[in-house]
Amino acid sequence: MLWSLLLLFALTLLLPLIPYAVAYVNPDAGGVPNPGSELWREVRHANVGTTQVQGVDSGVLISEYGERWRQYRMQQLAPWGAMVLGAMVGIFIVYYLVRGKIRIEDGRSGKRVRRYTTTEMTVHWILASTFVLLALSGLILLYGRWLLIPLLGASGFSVTATVCKLLHNYVGLLFAAIVPIAFFLYLKDSLFNLKVDGRWFMRAGGYFGGEEPSSEKVNAGQKMWYWVAMLGGFVLITSGLLLDFTNLFQQGREWLMGAHVVHTIASIGVIAFFIVHLYLATVGVEGALESMVNGHVDANWARQHHDLWYQELQAGQDSTVPKEGLKAGGTHAGGVASPLVKD
Amino acid sequence: MARMKFLCDAERCIECNACVTACKNENEVPWGVNRRRVVTINDGSPAERSMSVACMHCSDAPCAAVCPVDCFYFTDDGVVLHDKDICIGCGYCFYACPFGAPQFPKNEAFGSRGKMDKCTFCAGGPLPDNSPEEFAEYGSNRLAEGKLPLCAEMCATRALLAGDGDTVSEIFRERVTWRGASGFAWGWGVAYNKPGIRRGYAVEDKATGGD
Repeated sequence: MLWSLLLLFALTLLLPLIPYAVAYVNPDAGGVPNPGSELWREVRHANVGTTQVQGVDSGVLISEYGERWRQYRMQQLAPWGAMVLGAMVGIFIVYYLVRGKIRIEDGRSGKRVRRYTTTEMTVHWILASTFVLLALSGLILLYGRWLLIPLLGASGFSVTATVCKLLHNYVGLLFAAIVPIAFFLYLKDSLFNLKVDGRWFMRAGGYFGGEEPSSEKVNAGQKMWYWVAMLGGFVLITSGLLLDFTNLFQQGREWLMGAHVVHTIASIGVIAFFIVHLYLATVGVEGALESMVNGHVDANWARQHHDLWYQELQAGQDSTVPKEGLKAGGTHAGGVASPLVKD
Repeated sequence: MARMKFLCDAERCIECNACVTACKNENEVPWGVNRRRVVTINDGSPAERSMSVACMHCSDAPCAAVCPVDCFYFTDDGVVLHDKDICIGCGYCFYACPFGAPQFPKNEAFGSRGKMDKCTFCAGGPLPDNSPEEFAEYGSNRLAEGKLPLCAEMCATRALLAGDGDTVSEIFRERVTWRGASGFAWGWGVAYNKPGIRRGYAVEDKATGGD
């Protein structure tokens, strides 16, 4: 009984090895492999054949890249993008509830100082409006199928999506024109000053407690936003032009899918930073928005948030800058009496 | 219920492009749009094969999955169709489709492509069957008349098969059984009885010197 069981066990292990043994002794015994199998394996990797049909990518019989792009768009971009943007909005709701609006500590002085020129404001708002239009239309095209079709119906959303597509494709060109202008216009103020900005970053700008570190006309966070927006903008413009002008050099699907992946990752990144900027410039910091609305800020706001810039203004020739503000600020956190200035 | 399928037998396709012409004529598709095309791989070498390809009416269709406006739908016969009145011409279906089936009448500046057009398995679109409106937008609706797609009906070598998946695969299985599946049926080596060059294309190419 035991022997028969052992024999059975041994046979179970050994019998499946027979074909390997046969193949080892006589490699040709397995028959000739189907040459077609090799051919179709190659075809799956987008081998280009010949065809009488004239068109972009017509010679490609089967392309696997589309499936990879589908996985990217449906299983990575859509859910992860929503999580990133949702988390950013969530963080600022919580931040607002915990920290509240960052006030002008000494109250308004009633004296205003010039912060931005008319050109700077105009370029800012052209950039801002084109960016918001592009971001919204892009997000609607990405998420509308889930969010808006239940509300508007398929036909209704089709109209919305058509408008969004047209807006995105035409306003994109305006965005492409304004970003280089913005780049050179704000470049001077946005170059990092390692000493001041390094310290600002170490203290996280004082947003999470501690006194607000010194900053120049533009603080380190704003400089970072400038670089994210500008470099992200160039990536968005380059990839966007490839997608917008498909007849540029008759780029095929692989180019378009690659451009789409780059475009969407960059856009989620820039929109995430934009949420930070939007919050801090409007509800987050009292007295910040008016700098871009009428070009002026309150002297106390300038002293509190951009002390080094304010000192520069006081040292300058502009007679409208109150000279006595310097003394008043000495006793307050975030005022000019920071250790860095004493250096 | 039938599950409609195309199958192109690469051992039989002779790249005559009759399917392409038949489709274009039957459906009166716009200039620049070809719902079907014949692709030849390894043109001129002993491993040459041709395949007629159009929309393969996938069960898990990538075009339908990525469509931002959800304009695709599936008929009871498993045919993938789309609503041109909803389509916004974004081109995403063209990216996602492995077969390059979605076609666009235009390729102009500012992403202007026009409404997507593709093989309908000669099953028209969402408009009333065989109405002039349906014909103008989607072409012929032969399925509603009990006929199969014209490309396959026209195929002279019966390389292109269309119909219920069970029937199509039965026909193909029978063919493969008769001619053998391991590639003996094709090529110079078989015709001139040179056994050494039967195995695979690599050997064949060397032996024939690209003849």
